[in-house]
Amino acid sequence: MKSEANSAPGIGHADRRWLFEGIGLTVVIVALAILFILINPRFGTIANFINILTQASFIIVMAVGMTFVITSAGIDLSVGSAVAFITVVAFGLIKGGLNPLLGVVLMFGLGAFLGFLTGSLVAYVKIPPFIATLGMMAGLRGLALVHSAGEMHFGLPVSITFVGQGVLGGVPVPVIISLAAAVFGAWLFNRTRFGLHVRAIGGNREAARLAGVPVNRVEVMVYVLMGLFTALGGLIMMARIDSTQATIGTAMEIHVISAVIIGGTSLFGGRGTVYGSVMGALLLAMMTNALIIAGVDFFWQLVVMGGIVLIAVAISNLREQRIPALAHFMRREPPGSADNEPAREPAQQQGGTLS
Amino acid sequence: MTRENIGAMDAAKVLNVIGLTKSYGGLTAVDDVSFEVFEGEILALVGDNGAGKSTLVKALAGAQPPDGGRIEVNGELRQLNSPRDASEAGIGCLHQGLGLVDTLNVPENVFLGRELLTRLLLVIPQLDHRQMRERTIELLAGFGISLPRLNDPVIRLSGGQRQTVAISRLLLQDVRLVVMDEPMAALGVEEGRRVLDLVRTMRDRGISVIIISHNLEHVFQLADRIAIMKNGRLIGVVNAAATTRDEVVRLITFGAATQSEAHIEI
Repeated sequence: MKSEANSAPGIGHADRRWLFEGIGLTVVIVALAILFILINPRFGTIANFINILTQASFIIVMAVGMTFVITSAGIDLSVGSAVAFITVVAFGLIKGGLNPLLGVVLMFGLGAFLGFLTGSLVAYVKIPPFIATLGMMAGLRGLALVHSAGEMHFGLPVSITFVGQGVLGGVPVPVIISLAAAVFGAWLFNRTRFGLHVRAIGGNREAARLAGVPVNRVEVMVYVLMGLFTALGGLIMMARIDSTQATIGTAMEIHVISAVIIGGTSLFGGRGTVYGSVMGALLLAMMTNALIIAGVDFFWQLVVMGGIVLIAVAISNLREQRIPALAHFMRREPPGSADNEPAREPAQQQGGTLS
Repeated sequence: MTRENIGAMDAAKVLNVIGLTKSYGGLTAVDDVSFEVFEGEILALVGDNGAGKSTLVKALAGAQPPDGGRIEVNGELRQLNSPRDASEAGIGCLHQGLGLVDTLNVPENVFLGRELLTRLLLVIPQLDHRQMRERTIELLAGFGISLPRLNDPVIRLSGGQRQTVAISRLLLQDVRLVVMDEPMAALGVEEGRRVLDLVRTMRDRGISVIIISHNLEHVFQLADRIAIMKNGRLIGVVNAAATTRDEVVRLITFGAATQSEAHIEI
């Protein structure tokens, strides 16, 4: 991942500080990995690293989508419930004899539709994203339970389980899919008009509107995209464990949002990095894995994750000088006084983060 | 009638405002205002707070459509019901907040809403970052300015640099008239001087400028003509070279018909 970040010319914001942000998180991850290996050598096996990547895969996929949502100054609390709803419906139909490929298409269609619904509530009915997606979260969980309360589905066709369990050239298919999703997401975020518009409406909605950005349409598209990534995450998850149930994905939104926040995307909108979100998801998966190997109770894992998220947001606020008491010490050199300096040329533009 | 014909008949008149009126509830903020702006002219709009300057400017920017009156741009009657309409008519507006997105970098701000695209693998449209960056450098160079950190979010630029970015945005849109509401407010002396230079550069390129300012020193340094507003009415347009500061202050304070109006005020 790291070399990718440094060698992708033109991709990314080409802002040195943001590059350091990406590298900073990467360094933390490497340092933690070394620490864990020193504590318990079992952590350091190739098999375990592949395991971590696989565990992180569906969170990575959804974190890529969530990066767009949070950068647009939104939030989506409904992703866990959406995974449950989409997978129980699709699972039931596929088990009932629906062509697996059509089943997958249906999953993406459902994801897009749910996103369209959420996005319309946010953009046109003007319901704050937190509330709109809280409603979707409860509603979709309810629908999933109505559809198959207490049932546990098993036994998908191999064509589907391959998505979650297959291996290509020694690399698990979910890992390949999540990597592809991350690269696609980073491209969309940094290199397309849509990505620019998402960053613009998150940064200053009114200015974006005055500049001619179709803000409502972009906002709806953000949630549609989130829905598609949610469907992909759900597909990987369902295929991997070859089962689903109405309670699947509980508290998943916490993991996904945490990964994005740890990755450095601003909760206030406008600033985000897909690369950071991927790194955030990896960090969380690594911590969970290490805690499991160390035999720490699941409930304590949640406590640790909560702590990491709070620390990450605190660091981010510190960096953005949002904490008045500390802003004084964080101040950088005053801007200005350099209007007529010769522009430093592209050397600095190249080699941005894959973010 | 073709555009060339109009141009021949009335070459220099960029903006013609006739009987513009705008009310808020019972208050008439702009009352039957008529004036014109010529090509490459800087017209300063002065008056006390509440004189109607901002309302007038918002009508020209399409931000608040007027209740009555006509606006002609280059001889064509225009309905300015949205910022888009104004932009299409060739009127650019520099808002007090500049309309920049703080988190985006310089080229992204300059090109937001009119991005340059290239094709990935000949089919997939994507942003042409390089082209946008080069065009931005060109635009800035036209003002003799080069920003050292084009890739920084503009929130990290100084007030004057942000002004430059906002003006570059307007130039890209091929404007004929730029409307500026207090562009020098909240700027330091040096920064303010730079903005004055920018306005002059625009004028030298044949772009007309309407500028609201409370700073009469700036007004006299810049303006070709000065329009004075009071209580929603345009009480006079004077030639900057043919008047004095005291005279303008007197008009702002007491209005045109000194005796009677002053009397009413008391």
